[in-house]
Amino acid sequence: MKSDNHNLPDKNGFFGEYGGKFVPETLMYALEELETTYKNLKDNIEFKDQFYKDLSEFVGRPSPLYFAKRLTKHYGSGSIWLKREDLNHTGAHKINNTIGQILLAKYMGKKRIIAETGAGQHGVATATVAARLGLECHIYMGSEDVQRQSLNVYRIKLLGAQVHAVDSGSATLKDALNEALRDWVTNVDDTYYIIGSVTGPHPYPMIVRDFNSVVGEELITQSKELFNAMPDAIVACVGGGSNAMGAFYPFIKFNETRLIGVEAGGEGIETGEHAAPLNDGAPGVLHGSLSYLMQDNSGQVKGTKSVSAGLDYPGVGPEHSWLKDSGRAEYVAVSDDAALKAFHEVSEMEGIIPALETAHAFAYLDTLMKEFDINSNIIVNVSGRGDKDINTVADIDGIKI
Amino acid sequence: MNRLTDTLDNLKKENKKALVAYLVAGDPNLETTIELMHLLVKSGVDVIEIGVPFTDPIAEGPIIQKAHDRALKNNVSLSSIFEMIDQFRKNDNKTPLVLMGYLNTFIFNKNLIEANKNDFVDSILVVDIPGELKLKDYGVYNPNINTISLISPTTKKNRIESIAKNSTGFVYYVTLRGVTGASNLDVDEIRNNVQEIKKHASVPTLAGFGIKSAEDAKLLSKCSDGVIIGSSIVQMIEESSKSKEFDRIEEYISDIKRAIS
Repeated sequence: MKSDNHNLPDKNGFFGEYGGKFVPETLMYALEELETTYKNLKDNIEFKDQFYKDLSEFVGRPSPLYFAKRLTKHYGSGSIWLKREDLNHTGAHKINNTIGQILLAKYMGKKRIIAETGAGQHGVATATVAARLGLECHIYMGSEDVQRQSLNVYRIKLLGAQVHAVDSGSATLKDALNEALRDWVTNVDDTYYIIGSVTGPHPYPMIVRDFNSVVGEELITQSKELFNAMPDAIVACVGGGSNAMGAFYPFIKFNETRLIGVEAGGEGIETGEHAAPLNDGAPGVLHGSLSYLMQDNSGQVKGTKSVSAGLDYPGVGPEHSWLKDSGRAEYVAVSDDAALKAFHEVSEMEGIIPALETAHAFAYLDTLMKEFDINSNIIVNVSGRGDKDINTVADIDGIKI
Repeated sequence: MNRLTDTLDNLKKENKKALVAYLVAGDPNLETTIELMHLLVKSGVDVIEIGVPFTDPIAEGPIIQKAHDRALKNNVSLSSIFEMIDQFRKNDNKTPLVLMGYLNTFIFNKNLIEANKNDFVDSILVVDIPGELKLKDYGVYNPNINTISLISPTTKKNRIESIAKNSTGFVYYVTLRGVTGASNLDVDEIRNNVQEIKKHASVPTLAGFGIKSAEDAKLLSKCSDGVIIGSSIVQMIEESSKSKEFDRIEEYISDIKRAIS
């Protein structure tokens, strides 16, 4: 939970011009309450001890930094290292944030937990920590995602949480977020909303980043141990951008490390059918913050397209917008096809089935590895494992399970 | 001059309560919206709030959400809403018009607000901006358009003052914790909070969200300067839009008007 790298967000929750708190008035006090609680707790030794203890004993941290021997050989340039967030309990980086936020909920005395989910990993991670504390838990999920991520839907139910399928709008992640916000407006007194990405109104982008920063902190130590240098690049997929932000944040001050976010290019950026606001969007306000956003020519939020439910979102965390404009991080996009190809290649070459989200980061290696020589070290943040995507991929490959 | 300010001032002088009605522009289509606006005025409505449809209306309950979706299917945009208002003003240049919507639409179309052809629009209400912030700081500005801020049951006392002072049209008191159209009114809480707001506000304080029956309207008009009716009207529009028989709406509004008089 280090926040000494740069001084953002400012006291109003802005990263440069991005961020803020653009919510219905009813939620303003809840955001203030959360901000105050977090400020008081984040450097509290007891709170930090509990957070790291849970990460160690319940999640299984630190996650390994693993040398990808065959992938490295395949590209024949720099060494490729994999940050194994897929080995976390529940199978993705999402648990880092929910472990932290459920502690905040507990300190605030909230009795009811709500969350939105796209791919279902955040839903699972939230239901998991709620079960552990015996708290009532409601997960909002777009009905299209309920279909394509049915395995995770069942996992959430097994964990004792209720899944609410959301039919409105495009029936994906953004609509799940809308519905979770509406629930929160209605039940604000006793409900804690665990947002799953570095999106939403201040202080969420900061809180989610801080809890996920354990990934980047471990990477600093592990890089020194394993190759005795700072990595030359860190590559991570970006939907809302929490896994990328967690890996990037502690490295912002180390300019020798390139930070590369990979967005969902869907059918290709040129087709407009994608989910890549940093590559092909303009600043706008959605879900409480000002950030790059996919919008049409009258200011309406555009529908998105991606094979990956977790990246299928028209907005992005405001700190990524700041990192893009400041030039500290680079944002690229890869298509569905490229991600699917990488999904198979990594599975066969490394014995690791990555999440479709993560497969986007892997797919960019085709371009990126040409820019590096044999002495360089490239880290891919393996944000999650691909078990949840088996049905989707089998469908695409025309295989019946 | 501003139609909203004038209308609210006159009502106050006559010791009357304001009746504000909400509908979504373009639901079921823009021509019908014009027709409905005239009908609302005829039935006794003092101010019309025109809902500007948005893809992600996070403060709305299911009834108004669906109306936004229907309007968006008709490709309604802020620019076509301004054209609709042009038409409406040909027959009514007196009724105050408030545009109510979400920040992204207004930022994106700030040139339309700046132009505000013939000063036809009187006020803007943005649901998802903290009440103490000025729309002007986001480029949304016209000197002849005033702004309406919201205060809710959860607004802390220290913010009530700055929000009330920032509100130049009226203060919109959100009567419940929830989305539009919900039903958990707490009249005692409303009375206390409106009293607190009135200490700081130089403009009237109106109450909205969750007002359904003439009885609700009567209770709330006693502790505020007027009431805002939204979801009930939008629901009746939905139910009647096929047959185009809007008599029910007329009857409903007249009942409410009587109840608050």
